[in-house]
Amino acid sequence: MLEIRILHVHHMFSTPQGRWVVFEDLSLEIPAGSFTVIVGPSGCGKSTLLRIVAGLLRPTAGEVRLGACPPEEARARRWIGWMGQAPALLPWRTVEGNIRLALEVNGRWLQPALSVTELIELVGLRGFERAYPHMLSGGMQQRVALARTLAPGPRVWLMDEPFAALDALTREQLLEEVERIWQRFRATVLWVTHELHEAARLADEVVVLAGRPARIQTRFEIPDPRPRRDERRIGEWVHRMRQALAGGAS
Amino acid sequence: MSWVAFLRAPRRLVVRTAPPARRWLPALFPLALPAALLAWELLVHAARIPVYLVPPPSRILFVLWEERGLYLQATRVTMGEALVGLALGMGIALGLAVVTTFYPPLERAVMPLVLLLKAIPLVAIAPILTLWFGFGPIPKVLMTALLTFYPALVSWMTGLRAVDPAALELMRAWNASGWEIFRHLRWPSAWPYTFTVLKTAIPLAFIGAVVAEWTGASGGLGRAMWLAQTNLDMPRLFAAAVILAALSLVGYALASWGERRVIHWRS
Repeated sequence: MLEIRILHVHHMFSTPQGRWVVFEDLSLEIPAGSFTVIVGPSGCGKSTLLRIVAGLLRPTAGEVRLGACPPEEARARRWIGWMGQAPALLPWRTVEGNIRLALEVNGRWLQPALSVTELIELVGLRGFERAYPHMLSGGMQQRVALARTLAPGPRVWLMDEPFAALDALTREQLLEEVERIWQRFRATVLWVTHELHEAARLADEVVVLAGRPARIQTRFEIPDPRPRRDERRIGEWVHRMRQALAGGAS
Repeated sequence: MSWVAFLRAPRRLVVRTAPPARRWLPALFPLALPAALLAWELLVHAARIPVYLVPPPSRILFVLWEERGLYLQATRVTMGEALVGLALGMGIALGLAVVTTFYPPLERAVMPLVLLLKAIPLVAIAPILTLWFGFGPIPKVLMTALLTFYPALVSWMTGLRAVDPAALELMRAWNASGWEIFRHLRWPSAWPYTFTVLKTAIPLAFIGAVVAEWTGASGGLGRAMWLAQTNLDMPRLFAAAVILAALSLVGYALASWGERRVIHWRS
């Protein structure tokens, strides 16, 4: 597995209104095989950070390493699994075809651990192999997207609020399944969300990001065993994050 | 206030229950065209409008049947010119649209030239083309190509760019090459636009061919119309127009049918 190192990253957007500094000397190390959740208010730069780690965005200064590689190289080797808020399925491909796309694109030498059939089984979509995305509910579409993310066997999962657009019940269910699947693969996960409860449920380590420019307000480990069902205990972690966020806002 | 609510309540009820008597009305809609033709026929006879101004539909149909060999031949000529011109115009448009998606700055070189071509009026180009290329099929094909090229180019340029940004980001996270993005994302995204192109360009293609024939041709529906007009022979003129309208309709219907078959994944 891969560790992720974010080293002295500065990032700045130039807008007509002027320069907007998102990060100023931000450093963060994520141990290999850990599940790290970044929480923070909307617009604090969580997604920007994820894009920088994925190499989709080049930071103004500083660097990112996945293992020993810069993000561009990790991307070329197909180590990165990317999942966004929208399922981004191709409407003209079936469920099976959408999952297979992850293997067709830049993947001649990929040796996936699981076959497409196994992936479909894993995300609970057996019987829907030949369905087109418009026939599926939002939750099922995200399941397809999850299977597609896992298909090339990525060593790093970069998840940008993957279930934010789903209803609470569907989200609950999917979170549980993602946790189960992750425990099987043990990839390094960087998960971005503004749902504190979600963070408390999933994270080995929580990183609270807030302020302008965004700084790490606090980071702490959650050593509780999985699956976490003790709502009182989850509530305590949520409270701790909320306090850190309140401190960052002032 | 309560009496106001009392007044409103029954009204809402009336609106929601559609009167059963109206249900047969939509079934009559397809009869609109025959009804219009019948009205036309009756009006022409009742008002005694001379045939050199407005011929009745029955007369047009009669002419069409009487001279079917002649019209079949003319249709074949015009259809050939229109289809070759359409293929040429759409082919060049597709090529340019693809090239500009791979290299967007090129658009700044292409668009002024295209707009210049588009801005020159059709009626001005047609005689020039005939002057240059004679009475044969070449000026007609070129005219049709010129006319269909622009809408095709604009639609395809839009279509090739109308990709889901989330899907594009995903492709980039996979380090997809420009060709892979084109093949898996841009090209299929442009398919619905292809049918939009066909639906607008097919009628335009026939117009292009006919206008070019009008300025000088050895055959075709446009020439038939021009001959009829110079002889003030309205039934013959209308007969050719009827064929053109029918060709456009059939083309449009074919494009719609193809669209439903191919773009079945659109909910």
